[in-house]
Amino acid sequence: MNMHKIMSGSFFILAMTVNFGFFYGDLTVLVEHSSYELFAAIIVNLIATVLKLGDRTQLGAVLLATSIVADIQLIASATVWAFAEYIMNNVGIGAVTAIISLSGGALLANIVSVILFIGDTLKSKR
Amino acid sequence: MNEQIIWIVLKRLRTPFLVIIITFSITILGLVLIPGTDNNGNPYQMTFFDAFYFVTYMASTIGFGEAPYTFNYDQRIWVSLAIYFTVIGWFYGIGAIVSLIQDESLRKALNTNFFRNHVKRINKPFYIILGYNSITKSIIDRLNGKDHRVVVLDRDDKKIDELILENFYPDVPAFVGEATNQKMLKIAGIYQKNCVGIISLFENDMVNSKIATISKLLNKKLEIIVKATSQQQLEHFKSMDLKHVKNPFDIISKRIYYGITSPHIWLLEMWMYGHILKLKKRDHFPKGKYIIYGKGRMGKAIERGLEKANIEYVIKEFDSQKYIEEKSTTIFGDDEDIQSLLSLGVKESACIIAATKNDLLNLTILNKAKQLNPKIFTMARENALDDLNIFQASKINKIYIVEKILADATYNYIARPLADLFIQEVRKKNDEWAENIVHMLNDIAGMNPMYFETQFNDKNAYALTLKLQEEEKKITLADLKRSRTDRNQFLHIAYLLLKRGNEVYLMPDVHMNLKVGDELLIVSDEKNYNDFEYIINNIYELEYVLGLDNSKG
Repeated sequence: MNMHKIMSGSFFILAMTVNFGFFYGDLTVLVEHSSYELFAAIIVNLIATVLKLGDRTQLGAVLLATSIVADIQLIASATVWAFAEYIMNNVGIGAVTAIISLSGGALLANIVSVILFIGDTLKSKR
Repeated sequence: MNEQIIWIVLKRLRTPFLVIIITFSITILGLVLIPGTDNNGNPYQMTFFDAFYFVTYMASTIGFGEAPYTFNYDQRIWVSLAIYFTVIGWFYGIGAIVSLIQDESLRKALNTNFFRNHVKRINKPFYIILGYNSITKSIIDRLNGKDHRVVVLDRDDKKIDELILENFYPDVPAFVGEATNQKMLKIAGIYQKNCVGIISLFENDMVNSKIATISKLLNKKLEIIVKATSQQQLEHFKSMDLKHVKNPFDIISKRIYYGITSPHIWLLEMWMYGHILKLKKRDHFPKGKYIIYGKGRMGKAIERGLEKANIEYVIKEFDSQKYIEEKSTTIFGDDEDIQSLLSLGVKESACIIAATKNDLLNLTILNKAKQLNPKIFTMARENALDDLNIFQASKINKIYIVEKILADATYNYIARPLADLFIQEVRKKNDEWAENIVHMLNDIAGMNPMYFETQFNDKNAYALTLKLQEEEKKITLADLKRSRTDRNQFLHIAYLLLKRGNEVYLMPDVHMNLKVGDELLIVSDEKNYNDFEYIINNIYELEYVLGLDNSKG
């Protein structure tokens, strides 16, 4: 048992689950996707990234990389949303699919990091 | 990025980052959830973008005001709490991040990385020079450039700053580090393929020996150029199979020996080091009794040279430090000193050599001797290069600057290997032979001829290598001597030495057939050497000179 392991593990899985919550639903209908969930996904992903900073192992580096990918995708998704809403003044179908598929990409990165995390756990003897 | 410290610093960044993320996210979420009112009193819900914008400037205390509409009291209660929360979080976070970035050990690690990459990017053969001082500076000045680069390590950061201020071009990677530290040597590129050698000319023989041992173990192929001032040290290095041991006192001893017994051999050697090719009156070493003042390493070296040359001499023990302590002056020449000079026979002697460790004492000893015997020939040891002007002003016949001799010898060894070889070969000859050579060179190229080294390969002699490879026809040194304007005329050049593999031909026969890869030491002036380079590089010129092409008048 290691407090840091529990923290970072839970944040990795939380990042994936929250992101899935946002992603799940019709790709073209924005009402089915809550902005609160996107916000939560961004925050949780950022925290998961920070928790991996300075991990010198090979796995740590890969995990850091995948969560940076997820961060970039989610922030891009939020930026598209803000851009469509305030600058185009209209969140059209194109913008909606972009927002959601960007978060879908982030979800893939989250899944990869969770798989790596589980793999590492299974590999360890204790 | 394999420095431990970088990872530690990154790890320490976690908390400040977490603090900023968490305080920001809680505040943003609160603002989004609390209902607001717009200018017309209608209920209004802040969006994430509005909240993010507001919190960003609130937390960083920029404070543009309430946006997009004036806040109601519900919002203000939350914001007044949030200000303390986020501003403190922000200052803590930013303060911690800035202090971590400024961390001394992190900066050092980043500098090490920078230096390592700098060395890795060098694509020319380079030497590692240990210790930066006036000797190594003069080596860098001459060595750093077209063919070679240098890397410098010194344990004193002030010395490194000095080097950086010199603005060498191409720039010289330099770093603060202990020269005897293996890790530093590795960072300085001792394992790199293009690292040709390491130069260690420290005052302390022990340090030199330690460095030589470590470098030999780390990289067997390395040329180790090291200074040794004592006989035991020299033998130790020889047993380690180091070929390039530089002993400045040994060089001085040999110069004195040749200067006395065969001045023309001496002249040829000095010419290789930049002297003009003519024996001036003051260059003649006098025959007669010699007085040596100071029985240190220098004094003993001179003693060896004189003994070999069969010259009568007296050597006087003289401890400069003790002298200064006892008499509390660096001016030599009270009654006792004059007595001592007289008892050594200064009036009958031909030459006096001041070889103490103190420059001012050396000067005053010679002055006094000159007063007592105006005809005496004076020689001085000069320790620090900075005093050069005083020495030059004070009409001393010969000055031996240990530092300069060492720098010159090292430079010649590295950049002019044939000149070095030439000196060795000439020493085997007698003075008569050397005198003939000097006259011949004077006839061909004047009193101050220049010398050039070249190797016949694709890069230096394109046309010649092509011709040598493709045709059966033999090309001799004499062929290359012809002028490219009129092949019946000859260029003003002379060949001093030809090196083919391990064979060395001193004053090669002009009818010798050339081979690709031959190295040649040529004496000439700039213009004639330019012509020579044209001939060996340009196929038309070469064919004309060889008489294969008749189209050119």
